[in-house]
Amino acid sequence: MANNVVSILDHKDLPTPKVEQWKYTNLSRALGGGLLEVVPEKIPEKIIHIPRGKVCEHIEDIMWTAVDKSHQHLHLKIVLEDSAEATVFERHDGQGTYWKNMSTEIVLGANARLNHVRLQTDSMDAVQTNIVHITMERDSYLNSFSLNLGGKLTRHDIHAVLKGSNIDCSLNGVSLLNGNQHGDTTILMEHTAPHCVSNQFYRTILDDASRGVFQGKVHVHQAAQKTDGYQLANTILLSPKAEMDTKPELEIYADDVKCSHGTTTGALDEEPLFYLRSRGLSEGEARMLLMQAFVDEVVDKVADETMHAQIKGMTEKWLKQQVS
Amino acid sequence: MIEIKNLRASIETDDGEEKEILKGLNLSIGNGEVHAIMGPNGSGKSTLSYVLAGRDDYEVTEGSADMNGEDLLEMEPEERAAAGVFLAFQYPVEIPGVNMSTFLKTSINSIRKQRGEDELDALGMLKLIKEKTKALGISEDMMKRAVNVGFSGGEKKRNEVLQMAMLEPKFCVLDETDSGLDIDALKIVADGVNSLRAEDRSFLVITHYQRLLDYIKPDVVHVMANGKIVKTGGPELALELEEKGYADFIGEAA
Repeated sequence: MANNVVSILDHKDLPTPKVEQWKYTNLSRALGGGLLEVVPEKIPEKIIHIPRGKVCEHIEDIMWTAVDKSHQHLHLKIVLEDSAEATVFERHDGQGTYWKNMSTEIVLGANARLNHVRLQTDSMDAVQTNIVHITMERDSYLNSFSLNLGGKLTRHDIHAVLKGSNIDCSLNGVSLLNGNQHGDTTILMEHTAPHCVSNQFYRTILDDASRGVFQGKVHVHQAAQKTDGYQLANTILLSPKAEMDTKPELEIYADDVKCSHGTTTGALDEEPLFYLRSRGLSEGEARMLLMQAFVDEVVDKVADETMHAQIKGMTEKWLKQQVS
Repeated sequence: MIEIKNLRASIETDDGEEKEILKGLNLSIGNGEVHAIMGPNGSGKSTLSYVLAGRDDYEVTEGSADMNGEDLLEMEPEERAAAGVFLAFQYPVEIPGVNMSTFLKTSINSIRKQRGEDELDALGMLKLIKEKTKALGISEDMMKRAVNVGFSGGEKKRNEVLQMAMLEPKFCVLDETDSGLDIDALKIVADGVNSLRAEDRSFLVITHYQRLLDYIKPDVVHVMANGKIVKTGGPELALELEEKGYADFIGEAA
């Protein structure tokens, strides 16, 4: 047993801020220099591998459930070989206090198509960290949607590299937070080849003293001419104590591209509220309708009807609780 | 029967001061009557329409506004809508993400609920929408679009009249519904309004241009200036204004 105990402090392979692109885990310092010992048990792992040219008709359904007072280190790997197609439905929940630390790898071959939907309803006392690495080859397509409802602290780091031309990559998400929740989405979209399209569309509603973070960067390399890169992050604040921090960034080295970014943060608009009330809707009904519409514009990016209906049901339930 | 007495209302300006806009306005509109209000910019016409519909940016400091004996000023905007007040907005508001049919359905059923009537089912709603859109020359395609988003000026105004037709109000306030319309669009809007004229329905038509009153014939014309009604007369008053302008009245009210 003793041989299986590894001190994280002597572990040579751990990334340091210097080598690590994300400057994310200076874990030993974060833990106050104390000794954290991990027992390298078998890491729960799920690998979805779709061979060349195969079109996966069914939905790959993954459920990660955590138990109280646990820490879990999960690995999800989705590999689609050339011209393969798949839909992955990834769900998260759990009970009590836990840390769910996840790494996700998405590898799409040439002309591969992936729809990825993620529902995060972790416990309100949970911490979830998730690092996502996406690599895409020429002519591939990714449509990703993520709904964040749970977790006391969640951080979602996405790093996408578009390696070939004619790639279409959409990262969409909705975060609905209240209480003292903290939800962070950080994205780096790297265009390294010409004629690719990328979209980032994130909408957040924050109530109580919750806090949201959105940092999104589109990095267009010199070779990536004719890039279309878009980024939009809108937030509605329902409470004076809620806070949103946004940092949209464009870094462009090519001279023939179309890129845009935008963020808005504010309370619900008074004008549409009054317009709806003058047509007979109560204040609650009007607020509900406006917020649902705000969220639906992102949710509607989910093509699969069953998943779309499930997400819509969950967002409706959350909004109803906020309004009442 | 609409009875407005000595109505005073103010708004808080950006630098935090109270600015009085309605300065003791009196107006009485009988059942089935159409009254027009004309007046120069800044006379308070739009404020009057917002105060009647219940927008809370304005503070009513004095006076009353009753409809058939009910105190409108005590009611929330949605209660006024259920009681029968309808404001056709000067600038109809865009609501991204909410499509027209959802909007109309929610609106009608909210009002029916408040009036103690059964909600309309999907089929009943479809029939009602079909009937009313046809009369106003509104395409069914428009029902799938988000409310007022990307609508032309004419489409926005026709949409206001469509809502008016569907909600069957008792008191309609039209705030510059004719502004910016070409003659064909104006005729469609005016026909829509005329078809709604009824013994138990009153209209207050706010306009800049006498032209509208060629198509919607008013019973009474008022001139508003500096927050008050300064002159009242028959339809001939509108023609007089068109000729002479408001110069006389601005001087009088100040």
